[in-house]
Order: sequence, then structure tokens, then C-alpha cells
Amino acid sequence: MTASPTPRDPCPLRLDGVVKRFGDFTAVRDVTLTIDPGEIFALLGPNGAGKTTLIRCVAGLARQSVGAISVFGFDTVTEFRQTRRLLGLVPQELNFDPFFTPHQSLMIQMGLMGVTPDAAWADQLLETFALTDHRDAYTRHLSGGMKRRLLVAKALVHRPRLLFLDEPTAGVDVELRKDLWAEVRRLREQGTTIILTTHYLEEAEELADRIGVIHKGRLLLVEERDALMHSRRRPGQALLDLAAPLDQLPEGLPPGAELRRGGRQLCSPWSDPEELERTLRRVREVARIIDLQVERTRLEDIFVELIAEAEQR
Amino acid sequence: MGWNLTGLKTLFMKEVRRFSTVWKQTVLSPLITTSLYFLVFGVALGSRLKTIDGVPYIEFVVPGLIMLSMITNAFLNTASSLFQSKINGTLLDVLIAPLGATEVVLAYVGAAMLRAFVVGGLVFLVAVAFTGFHMAHPGWALLFAVAVSASFALLGILAAMWAEKYDHLSIVPNFVLTPLTFLGGVFYSIDMLPAPWDTVSRLNPVLYMVNGLRYGLLGSSDVDVLWSAATLCALLAVLAATTWYAVHTGYNIRD
Repeated sequence: MTASPTPRDPCPLRLDGVVKRFGDFTAVRDVTLTIDPGEIFALLGPNGAGKTTLIRCVAGLARQSVGAISVFGFDTVTEFRQTRRLLGLVPQELNFDPFFTPHQSLMIQMGLMGVTPDAAWADQLLETFALTDHRDAYTRHLSGGMKRRLLVAKALVHRPRLLFLDEPTAGVDVELRKDLWAEVRRLREQGTTIILTTHYLEEAEELADRIGVIHKGRLLLVEERDALMHSRRRPGQALLDLAAPLDQLPEGLPPGAELRRGGRQLCSPWSDPEELERTLRRVREVARIIDLQVERTRLEDIFVELIAEAEQR
Repeated sequence: MGWNLTGLKTLFMKEVRRFSTVWKQTVLSPLITTSLYFLVFGVALGSRLKTIDGVPYIEFVVPGLIMLSMITNAFLNTASSLFQSKINGTLLDVLIAPLGATEVVLAYVGAAMLRAFVVGGLVFLVAVAFTGFHMAHPGWALLFAVAVSASFALLGILAAMWAEKYDHLSIVPNFVLTPLTFLGGVFYSIDMLPAPWDTVSRLNPVLYMVNGLRYGLLGSSDVDVLWSAATLCALLAVLAATTWYAVHTGYNIRD
């Protein structure tokens, strides 16, 4: 069982009317979704929205109550051997076996996934995730960030074509987070399809090709990141620090512009780059600008807005 | 796509490595405990007791003590390993792997049986040092050792799947295994019990296990060996089917 099964369908993941109930509680409600080959898909939602439950259903850690899930054309229930061989999962919780070292953990995971253990590949993964110096240390002695990197390495031992990253950078410092982002991009370049859940919305904004928002088990929207950012864009703000205070606003600025900090800062709304350029020109005619900050609509703003809309329905 | 034999072998070796890494706790400790039983019940008290069915008392307790160590070690190996991995989350590594219920059960049971045979074999060697070598029917002895260790390894899996906390897990060894083994004819013959306790004892499955091994090693038994073998095989079949189904459906380990 060393060779990975040949995909029956190029589509990495199809969810068709998936419902997951726990007794009377419905965690996932009628989710239908198709993931494109080679994309990074960010699944966003507040705590308890159903993101992890959905991932658990795909990975075989939970079984959906209703609906069908297929990974590259294989059914996750009846053809679980194929689907599990094709997907990798980085879980949200840090888990580690205190009996084994990082190198042993990778070798064991390879074997469990049905791949003939390959020490050189394990060493390469350790190097990729900067764990070579801790190759033979017990995992209980690793720092939180190292354990998180080891989890990612473990998920890659069988070279999955579809990778789930469930909160991969939770509790991880900025530098490591950037390293993980680079690794995610590298995996995508190699053809791996990636599904990411995260609470850091700038992470989704930075990495994702498409974004799905789930709330109370229901998928609210699925859209291209750029299209979503464009369609939900709201006027931004430009903050201009001035060398000398102004007594009054220059003429011809957009409605809503105002002076702050005793005239030393000018705040002006903008909705397109031309308008911003015009504002800058007019201010420069009467004052010297010593600093400029441009605030634009962030994914976080859109996310908050979407959840608020859903709550009102 | 067929069985994941690489996965089965890996899980088996992982479990073996787990108990062999802490061999002082998993192998040496039960060996010392059982050797103390020999000293107390066999050497110290045994010299004051008569023979049972023509067998000196110190020899009479050997099969029971071997069985006691095999039962305990087979059960504890699967129960503690599976429960700990369930609690610390590392069971996920197994659950996301392309392993069917058959491979998972065989790997866990295989490793537990190996530990039971290592400890049981060492206890047997200690017994040989005290009493000399006895092996009346090696085939029967092997059959009972295999069936008993497999049965209690399976029971360990079921207990670990069912348990939600350490308290739950200790119920089986404290309130089931210990009474059943001590009342299962390890230290006495049921012919020595007054009515109705001799009859009640026949409801205890451990009685058939101990006497089966006693027949294999010493050639004597309180109960018919065929009846013991049939009882044990029936128990093994029920436990195997129940455990397979529980793992297949993911009882208490998958949502």
C-alpha cells in the first residue's frame, strides 16, 4: 500500500448536503461545497461554528448524519482507505506521544499511513520545519512552537494531495507564523490543495484564494477572496500628519474630512485611489505632509459584518 | 485497496516499543510480584499444606500464577495504551490513518499478547527454578495461553473505549479481574469449597482458564479440559466480535 491511490475525480473535495448532529444539537447544517484543485481555501467562522466538525467528518474522525463526502472521487465512509491516504490533517490541539522522538514520530506516522518508513524523508521534513537539532529529543521536551511544526511535518509524511490545517498558527509567534505561511505557499506550488481554518483573519486574507464563512453550522458564503474584498469594500480613511497646524480644512475635500489634534492631523475618507490622490494634492497645496497612513477594508471587517447580518436574520 | 499491512506492523511495533521502553514497570514489576506469590503461598505456606490431587501445593499454584500474570498484563497493555492515547489526543494518529478495524484490533491485541507471553514466560522460568520443569500437554498449555491473553487484550480495548476517566478504567481490574482471578482456583481446588460455592465457582470463566493451563502443565484439572477449551473459545469469539464492531463503528473514539 505504498503508492498513493490515483484520483478518480480531479476535484479534491466535494461535500453534498452534509449534516452532522450530536443528539438534538445540529453542528453542521446542509453544507454543500466543492474545492478546486490546487487552491488554498479558508474556512472561517466564530468559535463553535462547525469548522472543526466539518473537517473531522472529512478526515473520518466523525461520521456525517446525512449527506455524502468525497475526496478525489472516493467516498469517505465506504472508501476510507483511499480518502485517508490522500488527505493530511494538522489538528487544532497539540498532541504528542511522550514515548517517541520527532524522528521516530514521523517514521511511525509514515508506517500508519501505509507508507514504507523512509528515514531520509523524515530527516528532510525535520529540516524543512527547523527541527533537525531536536531530531532525537523526546517530544515532551519541545517548545509549543516546535510541537506545532512537528504536527505539520507529521501531516505531510505520506505526501497528501489535500491538506487540512485546523488553526495551524494558534499560539505561534510572528516569525514562525510567517515561516508556516511560506511553507503553505510552497506546498500549494507543488500542487497540494489546502483547506485552512483560522482565527487570524489576516492569515486568510494573506493566503486564501477563496473564502468560505460558516456560522452556526450553515455555510453563509463561498467567494473568491479578491471578489469578496472588492464587493464588500467600504470607504477607507487616510490619516495625514502635517508639519504645521491648519486652522481650517482645505477646499474640495470629500464630505466627512476633518481636522484632529489641533489641526496637526487631517482625516479624510476615500473610496477609490483617484479620490485619495486628489485629496493629497489639495492638502499639499496648503501644508507639508510628514506622515501618511491609509486604512482600507480588511477581511476582519467583512467577517464581522457577515456574522452580524446572519445574526439579524 | 486492501489491508494496510504496513500500518498494522507499525502499530504493533509502536505498542511493543511502548511497553518495552518502560520494561521495569511493564515486565520486571509483575515478575517480582508473582515471584513474591511463589515465596509466600508456595514456599512459606505451601510446605504446611497437603498435596492437591497428588500435586505438591507449590506446583499446584504455578499455572494459576502464570495465568494471573498473563491476564493482568494482556489487559493492562491494551487498556492503558489505548486510554492514554484517547486522553492525550494521540489516538488521532491512528484514527486518521487508512487502517480498518481488523488491523487496529490485531495490532493492539498482538502487542498485548507479546507482553503477556514475555511476563508469563518469565514467571514460568521462575516456577521452574522453584519446582522443576513440568509440561504435561504443551499443545493445551499453548492453546490456553494464547486464548486467555487474546481475550483479556480484547477486554482491555473495550474497557479503554468505554472509559471516560481513569476511575472508570480501574473498575475492571479492581472489581472484575482481581475477584475473578482470586476466586478462579488460582490458590485452591474448587473441590475444597463447600456447597454451594463449588457450584457458584463454575460460573467464573477464569476457573476454566486456570484449569486449562493446569491441565497443560501438570496434567490435572478440576474441570474437563474440552469443556474449558469450549468455554474459553466461546468467550474469545464473543469478545473478538464485540471489539471489532466497537472499533469499526468508532464507539466513544469517533464522533
